[in-house]
Amino acid sequence: MSHALSAELFKLRTTRTSWAVILGAIGLVVLISVIAAATGSFAATEDAGEDLLQISGLVQLFALVIGILAVATEFRHGTITPSLLAVPDRTRLVLAKLITALIAGALLGLAASALCAVITLPILSARDAGTGSDSTEIINLIVGNTAACALFAALGVGLGALIRNQVGAIIGALGYLFVVEPLLGVIPGFSDFVQKWFPGGASSEVAGTSGLDDPLGQLPAGILLAAYAAVFLVAGIVMIRSRDVSA
Amino acid sequence: MPAIEVSGVSKRFGSTLAVDDLSFTVERGHITAFLGPNGAGKTTTLRILLGLVNATGGRATIDGKAYVALEDPVGTVGAVLDGGMFHPGRSGRNHLRGLARASGVAEARVDELLELVALTDAADRRAGGYSLGMRQRLGLAAALLGDPEVLVLDEPANGLDPQGIRWLRDFLRTLAGEGRAVLVSSHVLAEVAQTADEVVVIAHGKSVAQAPLAELTARSGGGMRVAGPDAGRLAEALRADGAEVHTDGERAIVVRGRSGEEIGRLIAQGGIVISELAPVGSSLEEIFFELTGAEGGPS
Repeated sequence: MSHALSAELFKLRTTRTSWAVILGAIGLVVLISVIAAATGSFAATEDAGEDLLQISGLVQLFALVIGILAVATEFRHGTITPSLLAVPDRTRLVLAKLITALIAGALLGLAASALCAVITLPILSARDAGTGSDSTEIINLIVGNTAACALFAALGVGLGALIRNQVGAIIGALGYLFVVEPLLGVIPGFSDFVQKWFPGGASSEVAGTSGLDDPLGQLPAGILLAAYAAVFLVAGIVMIRSRDVSA
Repeated sequence: MPAIEVSGVSKRFGSTLAVDDLSFTVERGHITAFLGPNGAGKTTTLRILLGLVNATGGRATIDGKAYVALEDPVGTVGAVLDGGMFHPGRSGRNHLRGLARASGVAEARVDELLELVALTDAADRRAGGYSLGMRQRLGLAAALLGDPEVLVLDEPANGLDPQGIRWLRDFLRTLAGEGRAVLVSSHVLAEVAQTADEVVVIAHGKSVAQAPLAELTARSGGGMRVAGPDAGRLAEALRADGAEVHTDGERAIVVRGRSGEEIGRLIAQGGIVISELAPVGSSLEEIFFELTGAEGGPS
């Protein structure tokens, strides 16, 4: 397993695509953080710092994409063939990718949240806006985003193994999060249920940024999101084991 | 135990039976050519052997084990398969490094192999910019990572220039000379004629022949041509043995239905002097068409 894991970590950091996704995500967070902290109007809020920290939550989508790419790219370029020749046990290969995605997702979430805090809090202080400087709250937000990113990356690995088509998996995942889940929320009386129990809502709850009045706690939401990831991973492993790899 | 044993393997894709009860073996120290027209089931068979495609029936083993059950797959078998198997954005060196890590091979081996396949200069460029020949050589380097005793190559000469084909041929010959088993698929006869010891011919997923190349040529083709001062005496001996013999001028005969070795034995027994013993070469294409039932035209 350690060989397979070492190879996956190496593969992740030797393509430009990985770096483009990671640096793109972080660059976006930095840009939006600077603009929002410098130009926002915070007269009415006491805890602007916590609001601004939610900006870093957008990297969860990028973490999901990293997870999808870890598997789907192998099928896109046919590198799945040499990868399986080196690691013939397909379950082991997917598990190595899972651990890699958990690590990469967590690092991305942590880096984005930390950078966001480092940028926004000093700017708010300089502007004499309320930072909501309860450090426990801020730490919970940072830990929450880190966990949400790691779990979304894990879910992405399962999804990639299940669908295998890179473009299809990414469009499907983003389409679900941006179109399907919001549309389900439009059904009268169903909105809170969707935001509480569905994957997109759960990731906000894990990050501690849910818009609900009575969201799941970060830990229960984490268990829920992990369960979603596990379902996709098991389905993905079953699928990848049974399929022929012919290119 | 043969290095590779394919026994009764079949594979069905929907309503198509791509491989139909196929059996053959590959021995160590030999280059075995896996020959058949495009679409005969060669690639599918090789992928079944390597655990990439699940067989519908039968069993394909390397050293008596299924590929996925091998303890050290990369150190046991090296494979070059068809198609783009590289991430275009990753350098050749990093491609090999990733595979080396996955199989626990020391990184120094990567540089050694890049040198061997003459890719050192291009190793740090993105593989997407490699020529077809460079990709084939990179694939070959990947196959040799674990210094395996068994090599499986699917159409390795595709995309190589004549110089590259010659290099590959000598290279495979060296590997077999070291006692390794080499299984190489091809749809081009000319390649095989100069490389292989043994030939497995398949058509429509079925094995139609497995034999040493020379024997196959003698058995179903234009026969063996023997020339020399005693050709007449040899013809009598062969006819007495039941072989079909035609005279080819005064000092030469063409024998059908006998291998070179069988004729050689008669020559030795009779103390016969000859100057030439060779398969009638031009017929190899015909044997192929005859065995596979393929047409001469483009397929």
